[in-house]
Amino acid sequence: MSSELLLRFAWAVGIIFLGVSAYWLANQFLLSRAKNNVSSLLHPLPNKPVIVYFTTPDCAPCKTVQRPALEKLTKLLGEKLHVVEIDATERPDLAKTWGVMSVPTTFLLNARGEARYVNNGVARVEKLMEQIQTL
Amino acid sequence: MTSQTLQKVDHSALKTNQLFIIFLNILAFILNQPILTAFVAFVMGIGAVLKTPGFGFIYKSILKPRGWMKPDVLNDNPEPHRFSQIIGFAFLLAGSIALFLGSAGLGWTLVWIVIALASLNAFGGFCVGCAVYYWLARLGVPSFGKQPPAGTTPGAKPKAGATA
Repeated sequence: MSSELLLRFAWAVGIIFLGVSAYWLANQFLLSRAKNNVSSLLHPLPNKPVIVYFTTPDCAPCKTVQRPALEKLTKLLGEKLHVVEIDATERPDLAKTWGVMSVPTTFLLNARGEARYVNNGVARVEKLMEQIQTL
Repeated sequence: MTSQTLQKVDHSALKTNQLFIIFLNILAFILNQPILTAFVAFVMGIGAVLKTPGFGFIYKSILKPRGWMKPDVLNDNPEPHRFSQIIGFAFLLAGSIALFLGSAGLGWTLVWIVIALASLNAFGGFCVGCAVYYWLARLGVPSFGKQPPAGTTPGAKPKAGATA
């Protein structure tokens, strides 16, 4: 009985792992797409890490969590970080070319303008800081 | 695009529903309890009849009042989400019947399809059932009359402030 339970648990973990891998691959695809669009958005490159933040005026989690997180991060890092905020309702073309399906979405670019991370949904300050440190 | 009126749809209620569907079905698979899958199908069926997310009552009565989940109200069409729930219900009902008839492979495959699609919706913001609804509307199938909100990919979560 317990061995069967363990086997089923292992199957569940395996299937979830496959799903997470597929999600990771989809994010990698988004990042590779973003790489082709950086030059049109940032010209010239600021030569420092950049967060491209897609939002909309009525997005509640953007107001309550994402924007305060980015403000805190900007205070902490000062001139070492550049944040580009894009209103997806004003720039649906950019949202489309960057493959943004929901807001908030944040892309993290390194100093060479290469998109390294994408966060679909709210990304808290700790997570963003961790990502910036590994850019 | 035809003119239509969008309604306020709380996506947090939808997300709660999806998370419960995912959790309970995975639990049903691990414990090998088709009755749990049948229970999820039953709740989704009730939700489909009442035109509300099946497990949305947990969000409304517990999660939202205690502030554990914040409302995420967007201008959207509720019909595609209802259709999506009906599709999920049908899959789980078929899965439950298959499991009770001893066809474990078919039954659990159907259950995992529901888990995968609910996960895509909950974590990726893409509702496959809604996309199917909008495709059927495009094909002119009767009673599938709604169009996706302006600037929204069919099936994708609408951007806040979206218009008809």
